[in-house]
Amino acid sequence: MLLELTGLSKRFGPVEVLSDVDLAIDAGEVCALVGDNGAGKSTLVKCVAGIHGIDGGAITVDGEARHITGPRDAAALGIEVVYQDLALCDNLDVVENLFLGREKMRGMMLDDDAMEQLAAETLSSLAVRTIRNLRQPVASLSGGQRQTVAIAKAVLWNSRLVILDEPTAALGVAQTRQVLELIRRLADQGLAVLYISHNLNDVFAVADRIAALYLGRMAAVLDAADATQSQVVELITSGRSGTLGLGADTNGART
Amino acid sequence: MALPPAVELRRRNRAALLQQLHRHGPQTRAALTEALGLNRSTIGALATELAESGHIEETTGQSTGSAGRPSTLVACVPQSITVAAVEIRADRLRFALVGLGGEVLERSETALDEGADPMTAVSVITGGTAAASAEAVAAVPGLVDEGTVAHSTELGWIDRDAAADLEAATGREWQVVDTATAAAVGEWTRGDARDSRKLLYLHGGRGLTAGLVIEGRAQRGGSIQLGHIVVEPGGRECACGLRGCLEAEMEAFGFGEDFETTTLAAGMGDAAARDRLRRFGEDLGWALGAVVTATGPDEILFGGWLRELYLSTAAPVRSALAETTLPHLRSKLRLRTPVLGDEGALIGAAETGFAALFDQMR
Ligand SMILES: Nc1ncnc2c1ncn2[C@@H]1O[C@H](COP(=O)(O)OP(=O)(O)OP(=O)(O)O)[C@@H](O)[C@H]1O
Ligand SMILES: [Mg+2]
Ligand SMILES: [Zn+2]
Repeated sequence: MLLELTGLSKRFGPVEVLSDVDLAIDAGEVCALVGDNGAGKSTLVKCVAGIHGIDGGAITVDGEARHITGPRDAAALGIEVVYQDLALCDNLDVVENLFLGREKMRGMMLDDDAMEQLAAETLSSLAVRTIRNLRQPVASLSGGQRQTVAIAKAVLWNSRLVILDEPTAALGVAQTRQVLELIRRLADQGLAVLYISHNLNDVFAVADRIAALYLGRMAAVLDAADATQSQVVELITSGRSGTLGLGADTNGART
Repeated sequence: MALPPAVELRRRNRAALLQQLHRHGPQTRAALTEALGLNRSTIGALATELAESGHIEETTGQSTGSAGRPSTLVACVPQSITVAAVEIRADRLRFALVGLGGEVLERSETALDEGADPMTAVSVITGGTAAASAEAVAAVPGLVDEGTVAHSTELGWIDRDAAADLEAATGREWQVVDTATAAAVGEWTRGDARDSRKLLYLHGGRGLTAGLVIEGRAQRGGSIQLGHIVVEPGGRECACGLRGCLEAEMEAFGFGEDFETTTLAAGMGDAAARDRLRRFGEDLGWALGAVVTATGPDEILFGGWLRELYLSTAAPVRSALAETTLPHLRSKLRLRTPVLGDEGALIGAAETGFAALFDQMR
């Protein structure tokens, strides 16, 4: 397993926002994380990204327990998070954004042309055809194109786990489809993807597994091939569905 | 069998080398040696022979690795073998001339008047190039068997000997494949589906068709009339004479035309539009469940306007699949969208021609 969360707990003051959460994600798969507003999805992401410390449990990467104390630790482990309010610089162009914050990487001495070529190769490996001019400022890109640049950055820097927290929430229908195809392609190229969305069509379109959080607890983790929409809706709204979920006879969560 | 074994072996090695270069692009002699499992001197002799016959050339490629030494790459000469491909649609005819190695040498298309017979237009668009090419392949949306189009909703053809009509119009032999099968071959050879053993391609045009290819090869009987699987017994009347066909139940969409309006309305919260989308996703999922149970593919590609339908209604599509297929059939099944888009069928038609040529060379 690339990433494994075991018994993860997180408290804000007296409130336990994540309780004893287990989740494992392997290379090459898209794991969707669903749950109602406030279920704890973004908090879980921020624990993995090193933004929040954890109060219990363990985060394991490649079978080794890790203390992720900041975004830098996460990046060093190959974990890249794409937030909805993206950290792109509007006044810089596409190429500059792709290389932003990494110019001083050890042993890297790339000139402008080499950077542009690498950027173009990365975008074409992801079958991105919507961005014509790599020298255009990011401010002039559409929401979907911006999202694409942020995701491509993860690929360019050889991330192994990409976490996307509601990447399509602000996008139109056509752009959402392109981002969904991009997410699927990331996993097919061997990356692990944790994908958060409230739209079940988007979730079913790309997911290999679906993990449902209910009030900070992992209600169940299902193979997407076996899941139905109504099961997932029940898990989101009540934490259980038939024999699956919290307090049921058999727990769908993987152990 | 009349050939001496050594000559036959040589023929086979020639075909294997050309096919390797055609599929995987320019490479060094060392890479060829490894890929084909032949020894260095055999590869050397073959390369010399194929260079003399004009099929390949050796070029100095970019420097590789830290040593920066330029390496000699063996590459196909595109013009040495060409395949003509056309895709026939109700309103359009598309043409490509593809060279050995996969390069598209010519590409054009022409609009067809509604109801006009496309055969005359084929001879115009292919011009003299079809006659000069080694193979010619036509992709036709519908149920195709050995040159005959048994049924095409899009073209309104029933039992038409398309191969014979194409030959009469152009003066050369044609292979005919259905559009979905051609696109499947294209995605397997030049797209992202090359790991698929049994690939099912669904094509949404004015009708719904599907094509099954095994290890990238078109199969006899692999052309599937997806649109005429009954999902609503006793339902809407279909142009084919049956009732409740998937195609008939989806007719409300004008086959893709006002589909985007419906998705947009659904996205903005229109309950009726949402309901329609969910029902169409469900219908597609049920029809697909039957096809998956009958054919057991490991990958399904949603092409044409079914791409948009799948990405917008994946929840009901996959729920219906989960409810109508056995676990061992659905657990390893990959559901994807094509990467070649609209060009898939044309590229695949050409690749079907190349596959036949490599077979003949052996
Ligand atoms: N920094 C914080 N301090 C205190 N409470 C917080 C903090 N961040 C989140 N919470 C609380 O933790 C709970 C989980 O929030 P979180 O943002 O993880 O939910 P979510 O599942 O991402 O919801 P949504 O779908 O609305 O994005 C909420 O009750 C929220 O109010
Ligand atoms: Mg959130
Ligand atoms: Zn019918």
